[in-house]
Amino acid sequence: MFVTEWNSSALVKAATKAGKKKNALTPMTFSLLHATDFADRLLYKIIPPLKAGMIVLADRYAYTAFARDVARGVDREWVRDLYGFAVQPNLSVYFRVPIDVSLDRLLARRVKLKFYEAGMDMGWSSNPTESFRLFQSKVLEEYDSLVGEFGLTVIDASASITEQQRLFRKMVSEKLERPAS
Amino acid sequence: MTTPPSPNRGAQGGVTPGHYYGHGLPYLSIDRYPGKIIALEGTDGVGRSTQIRLLREWLEVQGYGVVETGWTRSPLMQPTIELAKSSNTLNKLTFVLLYACDFADRLEKEIIPALKAGFIVLADRYIYTAIARAGVRGVDSQWIRQLYGFAIAPHLVFYLKIDADALARRVLETAGMEYWESGMDMKSGDDIYESFRAYQRSLLKEYAAMADEFGFRVLEGKKSVNSIQEELRRQVGEFLDGSGSPKVLGAEAGS
Repeated sequence: MFVTEWNSSALVKAATKAGKKKNALTPMTFSLLHATDFADRLLYKIIPPLKAGMIVLADRYAYTAFARDVARGVDREWVRDLYGFAVQPNLSVYFRVPIDVSLDRLLARRVKLKFYEAGMDMGWSSNPTESFRLFQSKVLEEYDSLVGEFGLTVIDASASITEQQRLFRKMVSEKLERPAS
Repeated sequence: MTTPPSPNRGAQGGVTPGHYYGHGLPYLSIDRYPGKIIALEGTDGVGRSTQIRLLREWLEVQGYGVVETGWTRSPLMQPTIELAKSSNTLNKLTFVLLYACDFADRLEKEIIPALKAGFIVLADRYIYTAIARAGVRGVDSQWIRQLYGFAIAPHLVFYLKIDADALARRVLETAGMEYWESGMDMKSGDDIYESFRAYQRSLLKEYAAMADEFGFRVLEGKKSVNSIQEELRRQVGEFLDGSGSPKVLGAEAGS
C-alpha cells in the first residue's frame, strides 16, 4: 500500500510556498502549480505502485482541483481537460461536511485560517471567517456537482469517526473483493 | 479528448487577435484593451533577442510604450524551473506544466496590465515554443492546445526560420550547445552535436506545422540582422499605422 498527499511533490514545493507566502498566486497559477504537483506525483509516486499491484491511497485527488479552481473562477471545462492525463481512481470517496462543521473543526485545531484556504485571494471579505464561509460554500457546491459527474461515493463526515470509518472500510473491502465492479 | 473550444474565431478561421484562444481566464475580461501583442518566435540561437532589442528601440523612438516579456522570466517560476532543469527531475508533463505556469504568471502580471494601459507587448517567444517542445516530446497535441486556451492570440506573430545545420554553426560560434536545447533529456545518445541537430530538426518541423494554424509571418533567419530588422519594422509599422494604437503623450511631436 502507498499513501500520496495533495501538494506534496518536492519539485513545485518551492514555487507554491513562495507564491503562497507573498500571496502572489492568481487563480490560474494556483491551478497550474497544483496540476504540476499532481503530474509529478502521478509519474513518480502513483503509477509505479499501481504497476506493482499495490493500493494507492490518495488524500485528495483531481476532484479537489475541479472544486477549488472552479470556485476561484477558472473555467470548469478547462480544468477537466487539464487533468486529462490523470488515472481514473477505482474508488473515489467524498467526505461531505456542512460548512459550519468544517469551520468549527478547523478553528478548534488552529488559531488562524490560512489565506488561500479561506479564499482571501478572492477579495470577497476581509474577515477570514466570513471569507472562508463564502469561498468554501462555493467549493462545496462544486463538489456536489462532481458527485454525479464522476460517480463519487459520499460519506457523511459530520457523523462520528468510528461510524465514518466503519462505512469507509466496508466500501473499500467490497471494492477489493469485487475489483471489476 | 474533445475538439478545442473556439469562441473567438475570426474571419480567417483563426482566433481574433487580442482575444483568448479558448476558455481564457473567465475572471479577467480583456475586451477592447488598446494594447497590442507582437510575438517573435523561433528556435534557440536564431537571433530573436537581438531583433527584439532593435525593434524595441525603434518603437520607442516612434513614441510607443513598449513592454518586453520573455520565456521563463516570471519571478514566481524562474527559480523552480532553473532548479528542475539542473536536477533533471523534469518529465514531459511537469516540463509542460511548469512552462504553462510561468506563462500564466507573466500573462496576468505583465501582459494583460500592459495591454490595458495601451502598451505594445514584445514577446520573446510565446506559447508556440511550448507547443513545439511538447510536440517533440510526444505530448498530446490537442491537450497542449487546450491547456493554452487561457492565452491571448497575439496581433502579430513573426517566426524566424532557419535550418538545423545553419543553426548548429551559429550556436557553436556563440554560446555553445546546451543540455536542454540539444534535447539531451530525450536520451537519444551521448553525442551532443547529433542530438542537437536531431532535436532542432524535429522542433523546426513542429514550428513549420504551426505556421498556418497560428498565422505566422515567416522571416528568413539566415539573412543579415539588418535586413531582418528592416522587414520587421516595415510589417510592424504597416500594422500599427492601420491599428490606431495609442502613442505615449507628447512623444509624437518630438520624434
